[in-house]
Amino acid sequence: MRVSLKWLSEYVDVPADVKALCDRLDLTGTGVEGVEKTGEAFDHVVVGHVLTCEPHPDSDHMHVVTVDVGAGEPVQIVCGAPNIAAGIKVPVACVGAVLPGDVKIKKSKLRGQVSCGMCCSQRELGMGSDHAGIWVLPDDAPVGAPIADYLKMGDTVLDLEITPNRPDCLSMTGMARELGAMYQEEVRDPLVAMAARLPEVTAGDDVAGTVTVEVADPARCARYTARVIDNVKVGPSPDWLAERVTAAGARSINNVVDVTNYILFLFGQPLHAFDYDRLVGDDGVARVIVRAAGEGEAFTTLDGTDRVLTPDMTVIATPERAVALAGVMGGLDSEVEDDTATVLLEAATFERGRTSRTSRNLGLISESSMRYERGVDDNPIDVISQAAAALLAEVSGGTVRPGVVDVWAERTLPRALEFRIPRFCAMMGADIPRDFIADVLARLGCEVAVTADADVLAVTAPTFRPDLEREIDLYEEVLRLWGMDRIPATLPGSPKRVGTRTEAERTVALVNETLRAAGLNETMTYSFAEPADLERLRLPAEGLGEPVELLNPLNAEQSVMRQSIVPGLLRSVSYNLARGVADVQLYEAGTVFAAAEGRKKPKERKRVAGVLAGAMGDAAWNRPRVPFDFFDGKGVLESLARELALPKVRFRALAPDEALHLQPGRAAEMMADGAVIGWVGELHPLAARAFDIEVPVTVFELDLGALVKAARPARPYVDVPAFPPVSVDVALVVDEGVTHERLVQCMTSAGGRLLEDVRLFDVYRDEERVGAGKKSMAYSLTYRAPDRTLTGEEVEKAHARLIAKVEKATGAEVRG
Amino acid sequence: MAITEELSALRDDTLAAIAAAGTTAALEEVRVAVLGKSGTLTGYLRSMGQVPKEERAAVGKAVNEARVAVEEALGARKAVLDAAELDAAMDAAAVDVTLPGRVQQRGTRHLINGIIDEVSEIFLGLGYSVAEGPEVETDYYNFEALNAPADHPSRSMQDTFYVLDRSGDAARVRGESDVLLRTQTSGVQVHCLEDQGLPIYVIAPGKVYRRDVADPSHLPQFHQIEGLVVDEGITFGDLKGTLDYVCKQIFGPERKTRFRAHYFPFTEPSAEVDVSCGICHGEGCRMCKGTGWLEILGCGMVDPNVLEMSGVDPERYSGFAFGMGVERIACLKYNVPDLRMLLEGDMRFLRQF
Repeated sequence: MRVSLKWLSEYVDVPADVKALCDRLDLTGTGVEGVEKTGEAFDHVVVGHVLTCEPHPDSDHMHVVTVDVGAGEPVQIVCGAPNIAAGIKVPVACVGAVLPGDVKIKKSKLRGQVSCGMCCSQRELGMGSDHAGIWVLPDDAPVGAPIADYLKMGDTVLDLEITPNRPDCLSMTGMARELGAMYQEEVRDPLVAMAARLPEVTAGDDVAGTVTVEVADPARCARYTARVIDNVKVGPSPDWLAERVTAAGARSINNVVDVTNYILFLFGQPLHAFDYDRLVGDDGVARVIVRAAGEGEAFTTLDGTDRVLTPDMTVIATPERAVALAGVMGGLDSEVEDDTATVLLEAATFERGRTSRTSRNLGLISESSMRYERGVDDNPIDVISQAAAALLAEVSGGTVRPGVVDVWAERTLPRALEFRIPRFCAMMGADIPRDFIADVLARLGCEVAVTADADVLAVTAPTFRPDLEREIDLYEEVLRLWGMDRIPATLPGSPKRVGTRTEAERTVALVNETLRAAGLNETMTYSFAEPADLERLRLPAEGLGEPVELLNPLNAEQSVMRQSIVPGLLRSVSYNLARGVADVQLYEAGTVFAAAEGRKKPKERKRVAGVLAGAMGDAAWNRPRVPFDFFDGKGVLESLARELALPKVRFRALAPDEALHLQPGRAAEMMADGAVIGWVGELHPLAARAFDIEVPVTVFELDLGALVKAARPARPYVDVPAFPPVSVDVALVVDEGVTHERLVQCMTSAGGRLLEDVRLFDVYRDEERVGAGKKSMAYSLTYRAPDRTLTGEEVEKAHARLIAKVEKATGAEVRG
Repeated sequence: MAITEELSALRDDTLAAIAAAGTTAALEEVRVAVLGKSGTLTGYLRSMGQVPKEERAAVGKAVNEARVAVEEALGARKAVLDAAELDAAMDAAAVDVTLPGRVQQRGTRHLINGIIDEVSEIFLGLGYSVAEGPEVETDYYNFEALNAPADHPSRSMQDTFYVLDRSGDAARVRGESDVLLRTQTSGVQVHCLEDQGLPIYVIAPGKVYRRDVADPSHLPQFHQIEGLVVDEGITFGDLKGTLDYVCKQIFGPERKTRFRAHYFPFTEPSAEVDVSCGICHGEGCRMCKGTGWLEILGCGMVDPNVLEMSGVDPERYSGFAFGMGVERIACLKYNVPDLRMLLEGDMRFLRQF
């Protein structure tokens, strides 16, 4: 909210030090978002005295004038305004002035005549709308005086962030009260005096015969008042009024609208002025009905937009049609226009929730709706209406029709609260004096009384503070005005707390450490995805659920939540490749989402995925560049298996139709203890291409939950070998179809207890030496007994038995 | 020639040969020729049986003397040659130590998670545990149980992503839904209050979503670290002391904090916390927009309504809660100029941290 300090100072003494005021406002809960000094814009604009005025020789409407601006020689100015004349005093923008709208005044020539400045209208100075001609100043205006000083235009306007709990601060009088509490200053509330300027209105009751108000649903409208002002002349506002509403951030429109805005800014009470004649029925009575809108009811708001309403919304209507969207905006066809002669003035309060919903549903936020959705007090409405009517009559030359229609269905009563001083001090952790508490609450508008218990104050919260509902709400008020900076800093004294990491957290940390130790860099990508992502990746959607759809996505590329982390990582691969970074090693651990029909919330699973493109690094003098392939990805997973001590880890070859996204023959599923952990493989070139990647990429995606579940963090001790091993190397020639896994299985089961380890150290293919369709697999077998040194015969016997079984089971031949 | 003379000659010849041996290999040849299985001196030792009895003592003595002398000479010469050969080998193996070494590339932690780790460690040290919550929440956990019921004006402070509700429930406001992407980690507070016993000392780092178009200073997804303490006798002073300690741990011991009264639906009293600007130290500069302070978190005493809704007696227990933006810390501490870099996965960015 914009607060003019000049205006505010009418109601409370405002400290001269604006910086200190802003700091204090900030610390007590009213954020200062901007400080604007007006009047500064009028440097080089002074009071001038027109000495001579001659018609321009080459123009039929311009004049050439000389003006005394109090700076020695008079200056020559070319002026186009019709009311320019010798002898008058006018505001003159001299060379160097910058007028509102960033108009820079320079020395120039107009049709051959030198012009060293500009004689200004009100509008050119950003004050009011009068553009008819030069602003003629009173004769006693001192020549040469800066116009800002002369007109007392200098003002500071604060742009304040009012938190949603403080509707009272959305008004000048409310801010005055706030400053009064901040600085323990007296506040001058203008309401009573303003209302008193309309003494006659209660004398008769002419309104009652001509206006009726029917509130169909009191839950929507606690109070509705209507007054009528006759013989109104709609026209420009007086300067002071235009200045006030402009300072508050509104545009000066006409005297009637400006009065409603002025009262809104002054007291926080929204008003609406209807053109009375548009409401009056054939019988001469204006029937105002506050009712629910019909489903699909059409309505044009005064901004000219056609709206479609729902029963949730409230309208002000005549028996024929809606004329205003209650609490939000008036209607186009009942607004006050230049020829309006009679005004019906609405001062009412509307229910907060419906106003908020209406405003959000229509995307229409107004000064009124903003106040109603935070809460407008029903208690002072009649007095404010009276003050408003008095002012409206004054500025528009109208007369107030005696009487008021006041339908007050639900009266808000002040709330009685107790304030337990010792409890307050204990909760704040500071001793705050009782006198301060009582004083500050009173300044905020509460009634404070003593009770039988000296430790307890009886506090009655004012109705304009809907946020003061409970004792704790009062605590906040006292604390913020006492000053949070005055509370000593301590730490909780509880002996009962311990900081612990769970087993699962430690396992996840270990997964992260292992991946980093394997050279992968952690990244983060969007949780949002494109609906076509899975298809583009060729990843089978089976088991991934339905996508979680956003109702209001930022764009189509981010309209669902991801079901896999891989597409995001591939975008990052592409991003790097496009910038000349060829070696990419990335991983991300994050959430994927799976919705299901009929279920409110989706399942969230944690996944960890990685991508490897290029190599671990460039070739160096002592290290070749080794491009990543399937086995780098698998190696990462094997590292995880080792670090997490996963039991019974298996890699199962995935058939091409099981993993369309992976290159056939280079795709595997990782299992631990029979449970699927995830997959690894080289990305199918078509999938890669769909993400603008033309190089091989090795990818894996694992279920982090399954990893954590399978992990065996506590490993039992196994005896360190005390006796020497015997190593035997053997090369087995087998058909291509015989896998390493199969050979190891055979050897392990045939080797018995003495076989400690099987290590593949070479794979060799040669059509001549090994044979077509065959491969030679060279293994180093380690035999060892835990309790003795093995003899040569024992090893030979065990080894021969192993070879025989392997040969029989796999058709292997021992290569000589 | 008498045997003793033969032995004397053999000894002299052998010692000369030893002295002449230039390598350990040549020395070994000498040893084998004299002391090997069929070595010359070994021959004398073996043939002692054929030496007449009366000479046996003298010959035996001479043989032994010769053997000792040869072995000593061999040993001494070997030590010399060994040392020379080791020196030569090491000379040959010298390298240019300015050549690059063999480095294992270790991967990096993402900056945001790095900060979360750092902050988590600080709180673990203060006796807190770490909790998690779902990213897709119901209206209840994101708003209602946090004292912001439907139509509460605080809801318009945040732009919420709504999710298609597949249960068939209809929302009251068009375009909205009962299911949403959490706009704050504060919902974890409610889960903790419902699920955990008292006292509670917990932080909850996590991803949150707001409907902001990505630009240098906004992201539609970012991270918060939520904190919740509920115990007997918790004071506003405890809140101040805790956050002041944490800010100093994160930003440095010379930094100051200040608490500004503010409004959040789920805490009361509420405050925003600023840390003094690290560039100008409070004087005012471009970084802090002239204020000398940088806003870094929101906090407050847990609203009694929130405690009551979760079945905690607010007359007996009190608590505080806070939430800090992790990306904000990244900007303030590491000067990340454009938040979008955090989500691009640029290797040249990631490997800096």
